[in-house]
Amino acid sequence: MAPDTRTISLTVNGQPHVAQVEPRRLLVDFLREDLGLPGTHIGCEHGVCGTCTVLLNGASIRSCITLAVQADGASIDTVEGLAQGGEMHPLQDEFSAKQGLQCGFCTPGMLMRAREILAENPDPSPGQVREAIASNLCRCTGYQFITEAVISAAARMRASKEGVAP
Amino acid sequence: MKPPPFAYAAPDTVEEAVGLLAEHADAEPRVLAGGQSLIPLMNFRLAKPGYLVDLRNVAGLSGIRREGDVLVIGAMTKMAEVERSPEVAVAAPLVTEAVGLVAHAPVRNSGTVGGSLAHADPAAELPAVALALDADLVAAGPGGTRVIPAAEFFTGPYSTALAADEILTEIRLPVWPGGHAFTEFSRVHANFAVVAVAALVELDGDGDGDRIRRAALALAGVAPTPVRATAAERALAGAPADVATIRAAAAAAATSLSPAGDLHASPETRRGLARTYLRRGIELAVARARNER
Amino acid sequence: MTAANQATPGAPPVRDHSASRRWVGQSIRRVEDPKFLLGRGGYIADRITPGTLHAAVLRSPFAHARIGRIETAAALAAPGVHAVITGREAAELCDPMPDFGPDPAKHTWRCLAAEKVRYVGEGVAVVVADSRYLAEDALELIEVEYEPLPPVTDPERALAAGSPLVHEALESNCAYERSFDFGDVERDFAEADVVIRDRLRWHRSGGQPLETVGAIAEYDQGTGSFTIDTNTLSFTSYLFMAAGTLKVPVNKLDIRPVPAGGSFGSKLFANKPAVIAGMCARKTGRRVAYLEDRSDNIANCDHHGSDRVYDVELAMMRDGTMRGLKIDVVDDYGAYIQFGVGHHGNALAQVVGPYTIGSVRYRVRAALTNKNQQGAYRGFGSEVNNWMLEQMVDKAARELGLDPVAVRRMNFIRDFPHFIPTGNVYDSGDYERVLDHALELARYDHWRDEQRRLREQGRHIGIGVITAQERSVFSATEFWFWFDEPGAPVTSTPESVSLKVDATGGITAVLYSCAFWGNSPETMVAQLVAEEFDCSPYDVSIVYHGSRDGLPATGPGGSRTTVMLAGAVEGASAKIKEKARRAAAHLLEIGPDDLEWSDGGFRVRGDPERKKTLGEIAIMLHLFKHSFPEDMESGLDASKVFDHPYTTMPSADRKDLGVFYPFVGHACHVPVVEVDIETGAVTFLNYAAVHDCGTLVNPRSLAGHIVGGTAQGIGTALYEEFVYDDDGQLLSSSFMDYLIPTAMEVPELTIGHVETPSPYTPHGIKGGGEGGRMMAPAAINAAVNDALAPLGVRLTELPMTPERIMAALRAAGHAG
Repeated sequence: MAPDTRTISLTVNGQPHVAQVEPRRLLVDFLREDLGLPGTHIGCEHGVCGTCTVLLNGASIRSCITLAVQADGASIDTVEGLAQGGEMHPLQDEFSAKQGLQCGFCTPGMLMRAREILAENPDPSPGQVREAIASNLCRCTGYQFITEAVISAAARMRASKEGVAP
Repeated sequence: MKPPPFAYAAPDTVEEAVGLLAEHADAEPRVLAGGQSLIPLMNFRLAKPGYLVDLRNVAGLSGIRREGDVLVIGAMTKMAEVERSPEVAVAAPLVTEAVGLVAHAPVRNSGTVGGSLAHADPAAELPAVALALDADLVAAGPGGTRVIPAAEFFTGPYSTALAADEILTEIRLPVWPGGHAFTEFSRVHANFAVVAVAALVELDGDGDGDRIRRAALALAGVAPTPVRATAAERALAGAPADVATIRAAAAAAATSLSPAGDLHASPETRRGLARTYLRRGIELAVARARNER
Repeated sequence: MTAANQATPGAPPVRDHSASRRWVGQSIRRVEDPKFLLGRGGYIADRITPGTLHAAVLRSPFAHARIGRIETAAALAAPGVHAVITGREAAELCDPMPDFGPDPAKHTWRCLAAEKVRYVGEGVAVVVADSRYLAEDALELIEVEYEPLPPVTDPERALAAGSPLVHEALESNCAYERSFDFGDVERDFAEADVVIRDRLRWHRSGGQPLETVGAIAEYDQGTGSFTIDTNTLSFTSYLFMAAGTLKVPVNKLDIRPVPAGGSFGSKLFANKPAVIAGMCARKTGRRVAYLEDRSDNIANCDHHGSDRVYDVELAMMRDGTMRGLKIDVVDDYGAYIQFGVGHHGNALAQVVGPYTIGSVRYRVRAALTNKNQQGAYRGFGSEVNNWMLEQMVDKAARELGLDPVAVRRMNFIRDFPHFIPTGNVYDSGDYERVLDHALELARYDHWRDEQRRLREQGRHIGIGVITAQERSVFSATEFWFWFDEPGAPVTSTPESVSLKVDATGGITAVLYSCAFWGNSPETMVAQLVAEEFDCSPYDVSIVYHGSRDGLPATGPGGSRTTVMLAGAVEGASAKIKEKARRAAAHLLEIGPDDLEWSDGGFRVRGDPERKKTLGEIAIMLHLFKHSFPEDMESGLDASKVFDHPYTTMPSADRKDLGVFYPFVGHACHVPVVEVDIETGAVTFLNYAAVHDCGTLVNPRSLAGHIVGGTAQGIGTALYEEFVYDDDGQLLSSSFMDYLIPTAMEVPELTIGHVETPSPYTPHGIKGGGEGGRMMAPAAINAAVNDALAPLGVRLTELPMTPERIMAALRAAGHAG
């Protein structure tokens, strides 16, 4: 007997999608396997590590403890949507410049969380950044160079908003 | 770990939702709010509901409003919304402070106030807040709505007075504008509380706030449900708001507890944490009450 | 290079590091980054192709039990299920896992338990289905009859008579016991003024990278060959053992490396998922993925860290001179012992720390218990020795009324190379310089003043100063010098690199299973190649090669990667340049010795306009055979199998273990902490760390490892523990209870670098990837003890959880 499925409609990185999913299908698996967007990773599947973070209607969520059906009608942003027109987002570029990644596994979730942090507060202090990224575990970097990268990216993003070249 | 299979519905009204819970009673139905507590349990296959009723589309369950001396929060209101609400910050700043301590921001973006209360984790923040404020929890069932006082709502670990075919629709919190503190001890930042304390004080109208008129104290993480430290509240009512009195009240309250131990803290350490956080919480609540005069 | 060093037989020639460097030493952006930033990392879970089946493992809920009947019919009939394999069937399909333990025939380790389970979470059956969801559904339909047996969870009780036996065939839970004497222990203890004694307990934590282990396997029935993609490697030269497990000839197994989301040791030779995936692929005839989830990994990763009880004596003179050490250590290895007591080899490499201690007695007992086995965790057992020794030094300073910094300084080794009592050598160092720099960076005097001031306010501030070693580049001898008659006295731990110069002069470097784990092998190699050939590191292409037709390699571990890659790159580059020189000489019609390498090509000495770039030479060599002498082959490529440049054999009586970990760095960590004596919480007020790992290839990258390693050390010191109860249940079985530090638990570190080059390695590089974690637990314990000293409280057990701190305070009469 085929499993029960539901139809969901959602936008992912600006692209509309309509899909049939089992109600129990986790959003992270839907993104990775059904939509072919493997950039969002799975670290724990119990909502603690934040590796699976994506944005849902601009707010960060843990896609490993979200059902795909709970994203019906939503707009999702994943790491694959950060770079635009072949250019890395300032956050991505600064993570590289500051060596804010080593193994890269937490990085997509961290980038999406950082994006939310800077949308809420475009000029955070290092302490504020640290407290905000405490939601996302990193096992490699000890968070120091991630914090530096977010601060640098914030400066660049503020400058480009003000019409000054970053 | 992937969740087991379940039947699923996302009804549009409370009536439909409650009807589905009743209709599928044999399938061990569960309500899905934000899923931040339920889905991890399902991923671990510790919870295996045969039927999941998703409240995401049900109208009228979200929102914050003030009704005179009562702050009303819809059960499906996201914790992030409560955290940011100026209305809540004015009417019940204890709620604002407590909600900010629930896990991390991403969890609060999805998690709901009603979901946290209905989940009834003995170490959770919002149940302790509901208890401290003597909140009324409104439930809807096939027979209509009823009001369950917080003192009767939490019946055991992960267990509430809600019937299997009832859903929480709103929480009604008596306003308590100042003199609050929500403090907790967790081992790692924003991790679940080992011990948490909700402290509310109201100082004397006359003089410069030398005496406590009334206090409400609730603790999480020290018993199968959140508990009120009623003896300490009585001891503080009318008493001087000084260090020695507060210390004595906190110590007496802690001694009366019989918390369980786990890998994070023994019963003795939990009692010590309860004493410490009661003392710190009451002191902070008093300081804030004084600041507002 | 100067002539071979007569004073240190077996040592390679002492090198001249005076040449200036252009790329080595630059904190360039990592070559690896773009794909990871774009979400195209290509980790194992990203490589699921349509039609790949998924495996899930049924795990034992008991710590110790005989396995009776297993009913699999319902599971086999479940939707989407292709196969169910029980442990008994797996024992027919596969031989035991590769095992470097003392007696694999008696502590036999299999990919799934066959007759008995020995720890909670041990696998007893595997299901293969269309999806992981369906496989897990089917797991619930398998019925296993267990006959529970009494578990043993305490290592000392495990060694006592009458304990339940983890492996009946061993007739004991003691897998290994031996005592070694190095130097004249009896004399040093007899002549000492005082003997400082202590008992110390270090509980197990583990790497727990955010990505678990996974493997995707295919079996080709036609050729009888396995192809397995997996995120585990290391010990590649020993991967042939996995072929034995899968019962295929070695040249019918190809294991291909895949980028890994962190390891910290836990993906070192982690072949069980590969074996399970392979077994399932052969059984089903399909491509099968076995990707551990977090529950699988925490309970069953086979890479828990050291779990030790120490009884230690430090013999001292009253003036603070350290004379000798007696170490009696029991290590709880869990239910299997795949690496033997190699973790104690790591300890013996630097057992006396940076001090001129003349003698050591080292007694080690490996206890087996009903827990997941130990594997590798950053430091591989040397970090525990660092902690133990620094605890003893601080205790000694306190008992003798001496300043802890002064005691360290007065005992520092100052002449190098220095042979320690075990026979290992410290190649170079300047410990005073590191200490002074660390104290300065830490503003030590200021914090001592602050400590006095804040203590008057009733606050409990502590400062830890620890000085300890970080050895690098292990030798194979540390696997077997434990035995007088080892079964396999292996001596190879090579690393290989192939360089190919294409017809345009572009360079491709091939790495043999030197997996990417968050270390930066591509960036290291790119910088090293750029240094050799004056190209840009970003123009170097890096390729990872699989195991079957790859050159010998050992892979990451023991902080060996950068040094060994440097040697391999140097060797391969020399061969390339030799051929290029000959070719250039021929093209320029001049003698080869009249040419010098400069700026990306060969030019005539004294006539720099006459030159040929690498590209000009390369295109000729690729396409114009007849332009060269007969004996010159077309193309321009070379490989170097770089063996460990400095190891020597142990003596027959094992009083001298030889040189086995010669490139030894050093560090000083100075944390300042505040202890809340009402809650047991420890917070950092400051943290300075100075490391000396010789010449740095990419200083920023090394600094990142120091911070990350320190963060893990903070976890080990304060938060992380695999907690087993008396029934052997793993209480910390998820990240809710196994507590990994967040950004709020890790302070901002002030990091300093000192570089005393190794005389023996290319550019003077030493390994440094493990250093942060090798120092932090010792330093943090020292700081907490300094904070609580006025209360008469000293913590001797890690992690220093709030519970342990409060219990100690209560025991000392401080109600808290």
